[in-house]
Amino acid sequence: MVKFVLRKLLYGFLVLFGVITVVFVLFNVLPGDPALMMVGQRTDKASIDAINKDLGRDKPLFTQYIMYLNDLSFISVHETQNTDHHLYLDQRKYGDPTVLFTVGTKAVVFKAPYFRRSYQNRRPVSEIISETLPETIVLALAAMIFASVIGIALGIVCAVRKNSWIDRTVFVFASLGMAGPSFFIALIISYIFGFLLTDYTGLSNIGSLFTTPDFGTEEYLDLKNLILPAITLGIRPLALIIQLMRSSMLEVLSQDYVRTARAKGLSYYSVLIKHAMKNAMNPVVTSISGWFAGLMAGAAFVETVFNWKGIGYEVVHALQSYDLPVVMGTTLIFSTCFVLINIAVDITYGFLDPRVRLA
Amino acid sequence: MEHNNRTLLEFRNLVTEFRTENETIKAVNDISFTINKGETVGVVGESGSGKSVTALSAMRLIPNPPGIIASGEILFHNKTGQIIDLTKLPENEMRRYRGNEIAMIFQEPMTSLNPVYTCGNQVMEAIRLHQKLGASAAKARTIDLFREVMLPEPEHIFSKYPHQISGGQKQRVMIAMAMSCQPSILVADEPTTALDVTVQKTILDLMLKLQNEHDMGIMFITHDLGVIAELADKVVVMYKGKIVEQGSVLEIFSNPQHPYTKGLLACRPPLNRRLHWLPTVSDFMTTDETGNVRESDRTVLQVTEQLTLTGEERRRQHEVLYAKKPILQLRNVKTWFSKKKNIFGKSLDYTKAVDDVSFDVYPGETLGLVGESGCGKTTLGRTILRLIEPMSGQIIYKDQDLLSLSPSVMRALRKEMQIIFQDPYSSLNPRITIGDALMEPMRVHKILNNDKARKEKVIELLHRVNMNETHFYRYPHEFSGGQRQRICIARALALNPQFIICDESVSALDVSVQAQVLNLLNELKKEFGFTYIFISHDLSVVKFMCDRMVVMNQGVIEEMGDADEICSNPKTDYTRRLISAIPKGELEDIRASMARKRMRHEAV
Repeated sequence: MVKFVLRKLLYGFLVLFGVITVVFVLFNVLPGDPALMMVGQRTDKASIDAINKDLGRDKPLFTQYIMYLNDLSFISVHETQNTDHHLYLDQRKYGDPTVLFTVGTKAVVFKAPYFRRSYQNRRPVSEIISETLPETIVLALAAMIFASVIGIALGIVCAVRKNSWIDRTVFVFASLGMAGPSFFIALIISYIFGFLLTDYTGLSNIGSLFTTPDFGTEEYLDLKNLILPAITLGIRPLALIIQLMRSSMLEVLSQDYVRTARAKGLSYYSVLIKHAMKNAMNPVVTSISGWFAGLMAGAAFVETVFNWKGIGYEVVHALQSYDLPVVMGTTLIFSTCFVLINIAVDITYGFLDPRVRLA
Repeated sequence: MEHNNRTLLEFRNLVTEFRTENETIKAVNDISFTINKGETVGVVGESGSGKSVTALSAMRLIPNPPGIIASGEILFHNKTGQIIDLTKLPENEMRRYRGNEIAMIFQEPMTSLNPVYTCGNQVMEAIRLHQKLGASAAKARTIDLFREVMLPEPEHIFSKYPHQISGGQKQRVMIAMAMSCQPSILVADEPTTALDVTVQKTILDLMLKLQNEHDMGIMFITHDLGVIAELADKVVVMYKGKIVEQGSVLEIFSNPQHPYTKGLLACRPPLNRRLHWLPTVSDFMTTDETGNVRESDRTVLQVTEQLTLTGEERRRQHEVLYAKKPILQLRNVKTWFSKKKNIFGKSLDYTKAVDDVSFDVYPGETLGLVGESGCGKTTLGRTILRLIEPMSGQIIYKDQDLLSLSPSVMRALRKEMQIIFQDPYSSLNPRITIGDALMEPMRVHKILNNDKARKEKVIELLHRVNMNETHFYRYPHEFSGGQRQRICIARALALNPQFIICDESVSALDVSVQAQVLNLLNELKKEFGFTYIFISHDLSVVKFMCDRMVVMNQGVIEEMGDADEICSNPKTDYTRRLISAIPKGELEDIRASMARKRMRHEAV
């Protein structure tokens, strides 16, 4: 098991390395000059050169790539004396790293990954991410819990009551949920429940996890703001999970071992819950995890509509202003989430189905 | 109908129907029979005869809709002496009997256990449910049961998952599960059909032993009369939902009345004589369009004697056969699979599936490969066609070493060498019509110029395997197992092969259908002069089909020689074991087993 997880982690690491490379190449061949965007009105050559030097853009592309890798790695090599060197261990960049050992003027240090600073407001990208990522995780998690719990339950009901009115009704709504584009549904839901019916629902059409009151500075946790975005974000996975659970359950119910379980004298519901459901869950778990990672990356629309200060909201803004470090940083974070979630799924599989369990 | 205190289960005029919007099919049509304590009743019939539906009716497990018990009674004498009509019992009361007083074993041990729970857990479940035992007591009881069904290392098996144990062991777990609450009646629906003959024998012995110890009634369902010869006391023969004949096992075997029973008795390949043609049900009866049965008045013995091939005829055939040069020569073929690898991917340990095997195959010969599952016979068959690459050795087909050929030359040669697989259900693509499935290999190998010519050829082939042109546009699910296997044969024939490997090609079929397919294979061989390698776990089938046979065990050849010679005079213990495991259905054996049973009864 430990070996299995370690191997998965190694693969995950290789995947991330690939992603970093692709992201780097992609954003460096894109047209546009960040230095120009940063200086704003002052277009004198000196300031542009200074900025380019600071960003390392005066170096060859390969050196820039090495710099980028070195910045992202937990363990990195730096120059300690020469402040002009492109690998200079700058406290302003790397904070207070732990020096592992030094060779001459070079030091090998252990530090947090440095995602560089936003072109726009000069804030460290890691700070932006650590501020917005939890909001998105909470949103995606809430959406997924909503979709899984309701979806699995409805899927089972539909399978058991196949072709009844309830099955057909759920089918119609599931199809609508699959077909509706998320930005459209987001607008509709936010308009109806957050504006038209706001007196009854008590919900607002915009808002984040934390709200700053009109008077005062203390932020407070405002969970009710989570309801509408989470439902909106969860509608599509919900529709998918219902369909998947229904068909998976129908297939399992026709299996021989279900008949064996009934021949034992078990009641219909214990056959359903104990014997059928565990077997039917496998494809659903795959899709839940796939969607969860997808939701984190795809929450941008919903976050924008509901003004939810999550990472998707941040990406949309960064893209509009060509804020490369923010876009690159968030892309890496998304990939890391994907990799970690996939490892988690592989481990869950083993619990659900012993046939894929590894020794 | 007899009534005494030994009666356990009575079927009275039971009718079970399957109702769909368009039609109502009487799957079980007005049947009546009785099962007593300590008695085994064999219910025999081909697939679709309604025997499984009878069993499921007794368990009230018929899928509903569309199945429904339309009329009749199933009277069960329960442990407290009450007589209950199971057909009228409400579901929650029925549940108390299922698994508790009436237990069932199913055909497919591979799929009948839930893959996500341990074997022990699944057996314990029934014990805890019906006997209200605590977890540790139930566990102890389960391990006792595992010991009783003679599972090796019961404590170990308890925590194993179904996929980690063999098919025979799974069926033992199923039996343990069925026995867990000491039921008074055990319904066994083809419990050994999916198993090797040697494993089948051990399972049958086990059931007999358990019956003696617990005085159970057993309802044993099978398509193979031979299987129940030594096990059953009474036989019920079913055909198209009706009972055509019932009686004591001795009566049925010594003096079968109904032509269908005669057909079933005759169609299993006999070990003691060589037939050039297997009798089938149609030798004894014909069914006209209106469903009326017309019998011929010949007896089983008359028919088989007529079909017997004499030793003299066979000798003459073999003189011609073995004078030729071998078409295929295997020299020290080894197919090993690596079991353990080091981190550089170098193999440290091997499973020797085929280990140093050499033999020759002569043109026009049928060579049998026989052995238990896992002996390497299938791997060998696939190695010959290079579907699996061997580690070393030579496979010489018509003077060329197949292993040295380039993939493109090998591909061209493949059309001469065809394989017919075991499972006709999964070896045809469900979304491709029969016509397309047969034309596809011809297109690949550019046989004939256009699809029109190919279609004509396919129709000709369909006729050749006793099907017709109306089947061209149909899909596989519309056909029965026997028909599908004939389609697979037609597909192999489409490329005009010379050499065909039949890999357990009849193992998934009913004995009556098996006989038809075997006859067809022989007929085609005579017509086209094929060479066959016939792979099977059933020595009697191999003996019927083959000139010589190779007995394999754990990847190596145990014994090789003339098929008749090996059967009448086996040299190794392994071969003897294979032979003794075959259900023979000889009258002497039945008499002997009846005498044994009587003695045991008297002892009690």
